[in-house]
Amino acid sequence: MLQASNIHFCIQQRPIVNTAEISIAPGKLTTIIGPNGAGKSTLLKILAGDIVCQQGVISYNGQDLKNLKARDLAKIRAVMPQHSQLSFPFQVREVVELGMIALGDRADQSIVQEVMEETQTWQFRDKLYSQLSGGEKQRVQLSRVLAQIWGESSNPRYLLLDEPTSSLDIAHQHQVLHIASRLKHKNIGILAVLHDLNMAAAYSDQVIMLKNGRIYQSGSVEETLTSEKLHHVYDYPIQVFDHQGYHGKHIQSLPLHQNSAIVKTA
Amino acid sequence: MPSLVTISTASQKRSLTLVGLGGILVFLLAISLSLGAFPISIGKVFQFLMGVQLGNEALTIQEHNVLLQIRLPRIVMAMLVGGSLSLAGAALQGLFRNPLVEPGLIGVSSGSALFAVVYIVFGSSVAWLAWMGKVGLALFAFVGGLVNTALVYKLSSKAGKTDISLLILAGVALNALAGALIGLAIFYADDAALRNFTFWSLGDVGGANWHKVLILALISVLPVGLILGQYQALNALAIGESEAFHMGINVQQTKLVVLIGSALIVGTAVAFTGTIGFVGLVIPHLLRILFGADHRLVLPASWLAGAILLTIADTLARTMVAPSEMPIGIITAIIGAPFFIWLLLSIKQIRS
Repeated sequence: MLQASNIHFCIQQRPIVNTAEISIAPGKLTTIIGPNGAGKSTLLKILAGDIVCQQGVISYNGQDLKNLKARDLAKIRAVMPQHSQLSFPFQVREVVELGMIALGDRADQSIVQEVMEETQTWQFRDKLYSQLSGGEKQRVQLSRVLAQIWGESSNPRYLLLDEPTSSLDIAHQHQVLHIASRLKHKNIGILAVLHDLNMAAAYSDQVIMLKNGRIYQSGSVEETLTSEKLHHVYDYPIQVFDHQGYHGKHIQSLPLHQNSAIVKTA
Repeated sequence: MPSLVTISTASQKRSLTLVGLGGILVFLLAISLSLGAFPISIGKVFQFLMGVQLGNEALTIQEHNVLLQIRLPRIVMAMLVGGSLSLAGAALQGLFRNPLVEPGLIGVSSGSALFAVVYIVFGSSVAWLAWMGKVGLALFAFVGGLVNTALVYKLSSKAGKTDISLLILAGVALNALAGALIGLAIFYADDAALRNFTFWSLGDVGGANWHKVLILALISVLPVGLILGQYQALNALAIGESEAFHMGINVQQTKLVVLIGSALIVGTAVAFTGTIGFVGLVIPHLLRILFGADHRLVLPASWLAGAILLTIADTLARTMVAPSEMPIGIITAIIGAPFFIWLLLSIKQIRS
């Protein structure tokens, strides 16, 4: 279990994340949603150990984050950043192999191939990373992160994804989230920051709604993703429909001028 | 299994490259030993190195002494200095995630130069300084380099974390300040001191002896080893600082090892030979273009290639205008810069 209790983080007296309580269970996909500036990325960074929170306790499998060395932490949690620029001409394959630094001196080539096939990046393996498109780079980074936790382990592990689908086309967005859902069976708990509410509705086991650094609501898709709550969190009218044909939700928002038209007629 | 084949070829390629560079270095050592104001045949150099006589002319005692006491220490010194500058350049470029970084950026060279000029200009008028002679110059330059780097580091670190962008700014600021103070010292210098400092700042491997070589080797062996061991951390840092941490790298430790190690080896090199530019900037860059960015190869190859460049440069320095000598810093730039430009242009052509 990845647990955070009463965590708090300020930048210049302004709380960015305020007294949040979170627990991420292995085998579950949890998403964080919320408007810009709600503190989603900061929350993820605090949980990853990038920034030290000023209050509260974070523990991985019962061990306090503060007492974990970088190398030991890397064996139980992987993080995919929003953007990654490489400063030197590395090959794509080398980038993916980097993910396995914490696991030993030599990268297991069968895992490298497996994760790269999974993310459909195996065909770029000998290219230079800098020659790839934005979406391809993002998938290569995902492969690197997957390589870090792909191998078998007896301990529960965690994968933190910061907007993993931001530069991807619709097919690859589904593919990435599909990979994430399948990872659940490897005893891995996944926490993803997502902007696309339909993606969140389709893939989440648990949703955390964040607003102004506070958790407004957390729970199942049914409990959280309702028109009323989404309207409150985003300050924008959002409609939620039950999907025709399959068990799920369809979330829709109208263009701004149509919204005001509705308000005027009403 | 195709994947197993590729990994073995990757590491084979790496070993082959390193062995190749090492071979070139040994070959240059022999060539360089035989050249000079007092020419000695390659056969005799071979006898000197291997102890086996080739041909019918034996090595005379005079030739033996020239090789052992004058040429060999000088060449070894050039290799050690070239290797140090280039390795430090490669590691710092990796740490700063910027291929335009050179060792001077962390303040070593300018700090050394400032202390050296102070010693050259004012040393003769202070009794205990004058007494130290040439050793004093080296010691001053060494201390100056370390002090300035420590300042740069202090300015950019807060609560045990070093901000890399702040480090670059602090380096630029302190370099500018040192430059101004050097100007001030030069303002008070007489002609002899001025000429002395100018030549010091252009670099000089002459005057090498086994004592200096031994000191240089002893001071650099540990930092060189530690920096070479940072290849994984530097590879991970290429993706980003927080990403390197996510992958299990102790980033602050890497920063400390690379900064202190580089300050030590560059400081020692500058103390003994003056400031030799260009090596630390260009060699790592060149290797990345030729062999890729993996620091597992780039770091050791940088050391070897830096040693090669400085051996060539020093051989030219002492043979081109023999019996006089050209400052080595001029030569590294004169052969290095056009070669580098040619390389950049040809890479452009290959890519387009």
